[in-house]
Order: sequence, then C-alpha cells, then structure tokens
Amino acid sequence: MRQKIILILFFIGISTTYAQTSIQEQLDSIKGEISTLKKVENSHFMLRGFAQFGLDASSDNVSFNMTSFNPILLWRLGNKFLFESEIEMEYMDNQYNLSLGYANASYLVANGITIKVGKILVPFGVFGEKLHPSWVNKLSDAPLGLGHDNGMLPMADIGVEIRGGVQLGLSKLSYSVYTVNGPRLKDGTASQTEAGMLSYENFNDNNKNKAIGSRLGFLPFSNSCLEIGFSAYYAKPGAATSPFANDTVNMDINYKDVKAVLSAIDFSFVKTFTPISGLIDIKSQYNNSAISDATYVNPDTTGMIKTGRYTFKNNSNAFYLQVAYRPTLVNNKILKNVEFVGRYSNYNMPLGSLWYSQQSQLSYGINYWFSWRTVLKLGYQTTSGVPAAMSMNSNTNMNMATNTVNIFQIYLATGL
Amino acid sequence: MENKKNRIVYIVLIILFAYFLENCTTAKDTIAKKTGTQLWSENCIRCHNIPTPVDFSDPQWQTIVLHMQVRANLTAIEAEKIVDFMKNSN
Repeated sequence: MRQKIILILFFIGISTTYAQTSIQEQLDSIKGEISTLKKVENSHFMLRGFAQFGLDASSDNVSFNMTSFNPILLWRLGNKFLFESEIEMEYMDNQYNLSLGYANASYLVANGITIKVGKILVPFGVFGEKLHPSWVNKLSDAPLGLGHDNGMLPMADIGVEIRGGVQLGLSKLSYSVYTVNGPRLKDGTASQTEAGMLSYENFNDNNKNKAIGSRLGFLPFSNSCLEIGFSAYYAKPGAATSPFANDTVNMDINYKDVKAVLSAIDFSFVKTFTPISGLIDIKSQYNNSAISDATYVNPDTTGMIKTGRYTFKNNSNAFYLQVAYRPTLVNNKILKNVEFVGRYSNYNMPLGSLWYSQQSQLSYGINYWFSWRTVLKLGYQTTSGVPAAMSMNSNTNMNMATNTVNIFQIYLATGL
Repeated sequence: MENKKNRIVYIVLIILFAYFLENCTTAKDTIAKKTGTQLWSENCIRCHNIPTPVDFSDPQWQTIVLHMQVRANLTAIEAEKIVDFMKNSN
C-alpha cells in the first residue's frame, strides 16, 4: 500500500514538473511573440498634416478660400531614423497647385547631432520652419514677405543639414548648419519685371555653387520660455553663363559673380503669467536680404519705369511682431479657449527695381480653440503701401500711388 | 564721461559673463531632474498648444516625438522623458 502511495506521489511530482515545464515553455513562447511584435512596432508609419478653409471679405469681393490641405507622411525606423514628407495642395490664382513641401530623411547620429538629407525646410528664422502650419500660425496667413508668394526668404530646398540641441547648464543652444542648392537670380529674360529677384524654386541648380547657412538659437532660461535666434545665409545665385549670349548688344552682361547675403534675427517668448490668468506668446522676426549690384536689361518701352540697361540697390527687408494672449487660467470653460492676437508686419522691396513694393500690415484676430489642434480664426487685416503691381505700371518712382486694403477673414484650421 | 560709459559696459559684460558661467557650471542635473510632464509643457508650447496624451497610441507618440525632436532640436533626454510621459498618460 505504501509503495502504491509512493508511486502515485512520484507520478504526481513528475507530471507537475512536466506541467510546470510546459507552462514555462508556453510563457517563453508568448514572450517571444510579444518581443517579435515589439520589433515590428519599431518600424512605424503614420499620416498627419493640416488643413485650412475659410472666407475673405473685402469691400469689393467676398470669396471662399481653400488655402491649404497638407498631408504629412512620417515613417520611423527604430528610434534614430525618420522619414518625413509634406505634400502641399492649395488653390492660388485660380489654379490648383500640388507640390512637395519637403521630403527628407533624418538620422540621429548622437545626442545633439542629427543629420538630415533631402528637401528640407530651410531653418532661416523660425516662421518658415516651425510656425507656418495653419493650425500653428495664429492668423490665417503669413506675415508680409514670409509667405510662398514672392517671399524673400528660402522656405525649402534640397541639400544636407546637421542640427541639434545642446544643453549648456540651465540654458540651451539650438543649432543648424546646412548646404543647399540655393536660389536662382531672375535675370529678366523670362519676366522683365522680376529682374534681380531671387527664386528659391531652383531644384535643378543653375550653377556649381551651393548656398550655405546656419541658425543659432539661444534659450537662456531653463524653462525654455525665451529663444533668440540668429540666421545667416550666403549664396551665389547667378548662372555660370550669360543669359544674353545670343544678344550682340548685351552679351557682356553676366551674373556669375553676384552674391546674396541674407540674415535674420528671431525672438520668441512664451510664458504663463498668474496675475493676468493666462499665456502670453510673443513672436518676432527681422529679415534682411542684400544682393550685390548687377546690370539688368529691359527692352520693353511700353510705359515701364526702366528701359534699356539699369541697375539698383538690391536690398529687401521684412519684419513682423506678433503678440497673443489666451486666458488659460480662468475657470470659465469658453473664455479659456479664446485667444486674442495682434500682428504688425512690413515688407520693403528694392527701390528702383521693377518689382518695387513697400507695404505694411496690421492684423487683429480672435481665435476659438475647439481642441489643442483645431481653431476657428476671426481676423481683420489692413494692408497699406505700394503693392508691386502698382509700382511696375507707374512711369516714375516719385509718383507711385499707395492704397489700402481691408479684409475680414474667417478660417477654420486643424492639425490632422 | 567716456570712462563712465566704459565702466557701465564692463559691468554689464561681467554680469553677462557671470550669468553665462553660472549657467554652465550649475548642474546639468537641474534639467536631468525635470519630469516628462514639465518638459512636455515647456517645449510644446514654444510653437503650438500642448497636445493631449490620449490623442495618440504609444507607437504614434514615439514617431511624433522623434519628429519633434528633430524639428525642435530637443535633446535625447528631453525626448525620452516626453515619450515616457505620453505613453504613461494615454
């Protein structure tokens, strides 16, 4: 009897051990599957983006406006590789435009060093790189001179960039150095009225030179509420050969030695103040563009300012200051989602050029945030000065008419 | 008069230099001690509103924060803490 009991206990012991081993094996197998699944998650694709739709109303025109729909594709491989691409879809001048805003690959080489290749957003100032998405921009359009239409600054270009953030004690340094194809100098052969302008749509480079640039941002306080940035950009935008090679009168003119030097200072201050129960957000950027002297040709004699050969001091500048306040600390659920914005911007293009323009703009807005990324923007904007089209049609620089345009704007913007 | 001006300039420069030194020497650990919550609220708001953690899943946050690490030049520690915070709060 005793032997039987011992045998039974022996078999129970063995089967229990076997069962435990079996459970352990199953657990190991499940763990293996989980880790495999985790490895699959290391590669991740996602679609984001932003969109804006609205209405512009002036004294003589009321127009619905689909300003943008920009899907952004993100693909992450592990924790160090990221591919990002933005597709820009918009209506401009009654035409549907589809373009590649940017498409690049980033690799985190080490802490504080990221290398980026492809079509990059040029880190010149901060507006173009960080603040342009419609759900980030607190007003429905860009400040003068910083938009896509005849903007004086590089927005995106093809090249290589090294960037990163470095901790300096309580402060922080944000840096970026890059080399890109650079702009192309418009020589006036395609459009006489744009001679001397820079075109940043120069994806097949017109010469062997590369533009170089850098931005340094200093964040002195440990809470990163203040950032002051300095940007510089140098390029030789002229083609290697004369555009008038077949013109016996002007074949001596070429632009290969023309230089463009751009510089900018940007400022950002964002902080919540308890005494005023809300968040203050101040952004500002001053940009300057200096292109060395060159001789341009305008054969058209139909009432333009300049005919024949002419030159001008090719300097432009643009500035904006934006202040926003949102009472985030008040208890009222509606009021804490309301934001008040004011912005002043101006843009001065070179006097003596056929595209001379001098404009200033005041914009006021009241925004209502439905969520952190969806906003209804109500705005009123006054733009005054000499628009480019007017200066081109005037017979003399001294007689350029100024005009004022007031626009009421309602826009809905969302981050997707 | 000129001397007085120079003296003021020197004093301002010394204060700035002392401030810079103070920043460089005092403890990187102040940043290291910051929580993910702090870094999330301090860094996102520099450009846009602070996102809600529940809006995205863990892998999505990892991708989004990597995107922002590159765009906003966040350090590796900042990005890591923000991701951890997002993952633990969604």
